[in-house]
Amino acid sequence: MDLKQIKQVIDLMKRSDLTAFEVEEEGFKIKIKRGSDSLPIVNHRPVSGQYLELPPAESAARAAPAAPNGTRSGPAADEAGMTYIKSPMVGTFYRSSSPESKSFIDLGAKVTESTVVCIIEAMKIMNEIQSEAKGSVVEILVENGQPVEYGQRLFKVKQD
Amino acid sequence: MIQKVLIANRGEIALRIVRACRELGVKTLAVYSEADVQSLHVQLADEAICIGGPRSADSYLRADRIISAAEIADVDAIHPGYGFLSENAKFAEQCESCNIKFIGPKSRSIKMMGDKSVAKDTVRKAGVPIVPGSDGPVESESEAVKTARRIGYPVIIKAVAGGGGRGMRIAHNDVSFAKEYHVARNEAEKAFGNGSVYIEKYIEKPRHIEFQILADSHGKILHLGERDCSVQRRHQKLIEESPSPFLTPGLRKTMGKAAIKAAAAADYENAGTIEFLVDAKGNFYFIEMNTRIQVEHPVTEECTGIDLIKQQIKIANGEKLDFDQGDIKFEKHAIECRINAEDPARNFTPSPGTIGLYYAPGGHGVRVDSHVYSGYSIPPYYDSMIGKLITYGPNRKTALERMYRALSEYLIRGIKTTIPLHKAIMSDPVFIEGKATTGYMEEFMARTPTDLFT
Repeated sequence: MDLKQIKQVIDLMKRSDLTAFEVEEEGFKIKIKRGSDSLPIVNHRPVSGQYLELPPAESAARAAPAAPNGTRSGPAADEAGMTYIKSPMVGTFYRSSSPESKSFIDLGAKVTESTVVCIIEAMKIMNEIQSEAKGSVVEILVENGQPVEYGQRLFKVKQD
Repeated sequence: MIQKVLIANRGEIALRIVRACRELGVKTLAVYSEADVQSLHVQLADEAICIGGPRSADSYLRADRIISAAEIADVDAIHPGYGFLSENAKFAEQCESCNIKFIGPKSRSIKMMGDKSVAKDTVRKAGVPIVPGSDGPVESESEAVKTARRIGYPVIIKAVAGGGGRGMRIAHNDVSFAKEYHVARNEAEKAFGNGSVYIEKYIEKPRHIEFQILADSHGKILHLGERDCSVQRRHQKLIEESPSPFLTPGLRKTMGKAAIKAAAAADYENAGTIEFLVDAKGNFYFIEMNTRIQVEHPVTEECTGIDLIKQQIKIANGEKLDFDQGDIKFEKHAIECRINAEDPARNFTPSPGTIGLYYAPGGHGVRVDSHVYSGYSIPPYYDSMIGKLITYGPNRKTALERMYRALSEYLIRGIKTTIPLHKAIMSDPVFIEGKATTGYMEEFMARTPTDLFT
């Protein structure tokens, strides 16, 4: 199967009541399962390996319809001592200032409010994004070259 | 070939655009503020990108973020809806330079018609009647008086920098003019920082009648009839209908031709509206052109049967309009009531909050354009319009009766709305007889007890 066919299957699943789909070809096997609406999904990253978890919402950044308390669903409420560096703009996320350079920060890096953590490119302009949080980076939530929206969580930081 | 459209708007019009795109097989991208995460169109669109905080200035007016979203999602066109950036010539220009099709007129048409005096001058040269007045601001009191006498009393003195019905004084003769001229100048200076005023003929209790224009990129310009929008409160429209109960077929033909001339003078493309004031004798005067789709477009859609939003997308796609002026028939009478989250019994104070039970009317001849639903929280950051109720039928009587019936079924619990006000107007003899002019609302409110609105 190529990516286009996989997308077609996902589309078909979303538009129907199908909860699981599995296909095996020579040298290739894929199983797609719908995430259960009754179980809270703590993060929206695809599980690595052969299984592709299909989240209730199409993209990690979009809330599920009409949550009773009116707030976005998705990652659970902020844990104590943790904060997130969020995108202040719409654009493309880069870990470094150019393909040849080193990443601005890696997992475990210590940051202060003014540390440059990444670049977000918008309309051909490379914008350096500052941390605005103080602590150490415990998780990197987006991938190099991924489009990001306003408010999207980029890094999880354990505050000092 | 337009395959994906970014909807640079929110609320009911964003939902309307999603629906039209769906029917055309075009993909949709909703851009939204953090206050609109639970918005219906955001859930229904194929893709969605958050572009900012709740305030419009931090989201829906951020042209840079909107264009950024358009680029990362690889859209072909942007539909600006109404309000926000829809009449921002600079935004249209930015789209043009980024090779994204702006679903609307060319940026220079927007610029031309955006300046009220340039607009009037442009259409006047094309032979369209305008409200007689001074050519621009008056330089001195003596010039002002001369202008007033030339035009003929009564006249209205307007602030050049004013708008939204503010900074206007009326004078009926030389004596009152001398006084009102100075008052107007002082008020304008204080309110807008600019004391410049211009003079116009004051048309007493006119009807506000506007013509819908569709123009393709191959030179064809058509009009889709008029909408009578005379029922207004503080220059905000409340009720619109088509055809106007006042126009005769002859006057409709004449005004239709004038509307097309005005659009041609602006080198217009896509959907637009020419606004006129019409006096009791049937004299009509151009006041302005709206270079965008309007709130009340469903009235024209139900009257003529033509889907205006789909036509907008087709025109933006470079397609020719596949019908002519003679093909357009005004088969139904349609009327629209704007449903606002306001309390008419308390001077229309906004009523934000969470909608408990929501039940929309239905049945033959009823259309509801609304983005709200049971449990929806109305964000306090935007305007108070929560939906539009449109009814239509073979004649005006049926459309009105249907509107009264539909308003009676419409349940929106948990907030105050203007539904009871609309019901009262539908039962009012002056309105039923088709006699409403722009003076109607003030007169109606003065003689109607407010407990009729609860």
